Amino acid sequence: MLKQLKNVIMIAMIALVTICGSTSCNSSKKLSKKEYKAKVEQADKDLNAILNNETEWTLEEQQARIEEMKQIDFSKKNPEIMEMIERAEAKLANDFAERDRIAQERLAEEQRKAEEQRLREIEEQNKPKTSLTDYFNMIINAKDATAANKAINQALDLFESPDAVVLIRLNNYGDYDKPTTAANYLNYLKDQKKLTVGIDNIKYNAENKITELELIKK
Amino acid sequence: MRFLRIILPIVLLALCFKVEAQLMDERELYAMTKQMGQFIHRFNYEEDTYGKRIYQDDADFRSAEKRKTSLPLLFDLNSPRTNGALRDYFVEDVTKKNNQFFEFLGGNWFSEVSAKFKWKGKDVDISLIMSIEQEGLGSKWVISNVFFSEFQKYFPQGELAEREKHFLHPMSHELDFMNIYKVFTDPQIVEYYASTDYTPDYLTLFFYEIKRGNLKFDHVEKVKFHVFQINNWYFEVSWFDRSGYNSGWLISNLVYIKEEEKDLLLKLYQPKK
Amino acid sequence: MNMKKLLFAIALAFFALTGYQAFAQEPEISPERKQAIDSLALEKVRDLSKYIKLIGAKTTPWSEANRVIDRAEELFAPDAEIGVSSLAKTTVDYYKVRQYLERLMRLNYDRVEIDWYKIQYVSDLQRQPNGTYVGVITIFQTFKGYDAEGKLVYQDTTKKDITVYVKRKETQIGGRLISFWDVLLGDMRVKETTLK
Repeated sequence: MLKQLKNVIMIAMIALVTICGSTSCNSSKKLSKKEYKAKVEQADKDLNAILNNETEWTLEEQQARIEEMKQIDFSKKNPEIMEMIERAEAKLANDFAERDRIAQERLAEEQRKAEEQRLREIEEQNKPKTSLTDYFNMIINAKDATAANKAINQALDLFESPDAVVLIRLNNYGDYDKPTTAANYLNYLKDQKKLTVGIDNIKYNAENKITELELIKK
Repeated sequence: MRFLRIILPIVLLALCFKVEAQLMDERELYAMTKQMGQFIHRFNYEEDTYGKRIYQDDADFRSAEKRKTSLPLLFDLNSPRTNGALRDYFVEDVTKKNNQFFEFLGGNWFSEVSAKFKWKGKDVDISLIMSIEQEGLGSKWVISNVFFSEFQKYFPQGELAEREKHFLHPMSHELDFMNIYKVFTDPQIVEYYASTDYTPDYLTLFFYEIKRGNLKFDHVEKVKFHVFQINNWYFEVSWFDRSGYNSGWLISNLVYIKEEEKDLLLKLYQPKK
Repeated sequence: MNMKKLLFAIALAFFALTGYQAFAQEPEISPERKQAIDSLALEKVRDLSKYIKLIGAKTTPWSEANRVIDRAEELFAPDAEIGVSSLAKTTVDYYKVRQYLERLMRLNYDRVEIDWYKIQYVSDLQRQPNGTYVGVITIFQTFKGYDAEGKLVYQDTTKKDITVYVKRKETQIGGRLISFWDVLLGDMRVKETTLK
């Protein structure tokens, strides 16, 4: 019996909601005093929660709740609720705008980062590799033997082998110093800490590694 | 006055160099004649006062005017022998026609190497006379003579009157040289029976003693040079290790000597020439 | 062809076949080239000076010092010797190059200062009978040794006369004939001077 009644009420409520929802009728009149009071209390509680940021509802849920409240006419007996609804709507509009702004900013930040990454990659691809002269200078200016040795090892990567020929031309009369090797010459720079030559000519193999380096005395 | 004339260019030269922290030394090092080769370049003015080489196409190359001021600086200024009128005559003479130069390969200059040897166990001083000899594509220092008092003792000059007493008469051969034993009775004067031209070959004696193991080299004590290249002059160059602006290889002795008198002297340095 | 001419021809052929060719055909080297060779020789001596500084410095790690000794030794001809004398002792002590450098590494001072005067003198290059050029480069060095308290306990100034051998050599590199000047240091005379 009770179950049956419950079902009837339920159906009636659905019907009511359906009718009211589709016709936007002012249903306050149809509410009993007790029901209205409960609605006022609930609305007051919910609106306060919304206005004071004390709800865990999403902004959409908050908006839906406000829309629900607006179905009831509080203007006569409870204008304060109306006023709260107005404030809550304004706040919600603000919150939506704020959320959009944050979302946009985040998106912009992500785009910026992606662009930076893209540029960095391009730069990485186009950046000239540390030149031999740079390595020469790194070696002679190294603060200690360890740093110099590190630069030597990096520089040796540019050569086909540590034994690649290094020629040192003295002048334009075909006079050379005794030919040496890449490893020996780089170590020489480390010890002597002076660069008295310029690069005159470099020969590479198919892998773009230096096979022969010709230097000229400055 | 003369002293001033010599010292002034040196002081001026010294002032030319930048004054830095340890300067005194550095200026002294500039002034020092650091190698015999530098002595030769300075002597000929083939190098300026800063040590920069002057090559043949340079206007100042071997300039007589420059030599007049640079030559006096090559003398030991502390010795009256090399810091007086004789030196001035020398400078004047050498620059007069300005054709007197000191050439590395020009011959007639020698190095005297004073060395310590052990001779039969005791320390002795021997002077080796060295000269530059051209050979093959270049040149080398060779030993041209040796002075060792122990050798010289065996060959005293001897009185002429005494020497004239000792000879084998020209008909000795007819008697199967029965008188030849006299040559060997007094070993001290055995060489009186040699030719008048005879001079002992000390270098051969020296090599012989080395080969016999009687002489053993120990070390070099000192090196100096004897230069006979300049017409009518002989000078000696020695090393002066001292502070100041007159150090290094400098002329330590100067003698005016006629060319014809030089030959006899040269025989002492290079007997085989 | 008489005997003399024949001998001369043989000698010429011999020179042409051996390394003397370069010399026979180069009686005079222009001043510019001579200067380049002089500076090359001087550079080797400067390199040696730097190596000596590194070897003497107490801050140089042991392994580095040993490597530097190898490099310094490579500058010298194999039979080169170092003759050292002091004001107190004029006799010359002879050292092999390696011995001399290792001695420098093991010197018993807490700190060592080795400085080279800017002044140096490069002699003319003279030729030996075999055609190799030989010269002498003179440099001056000051040495200061300090003890643990930082007190100067030893100091000297030495004149170093270093023999330099210069020989023209040829080698094939990548199908190209490269003529180079092989500069090797020879005997070195180290003499203490009164200059301080």
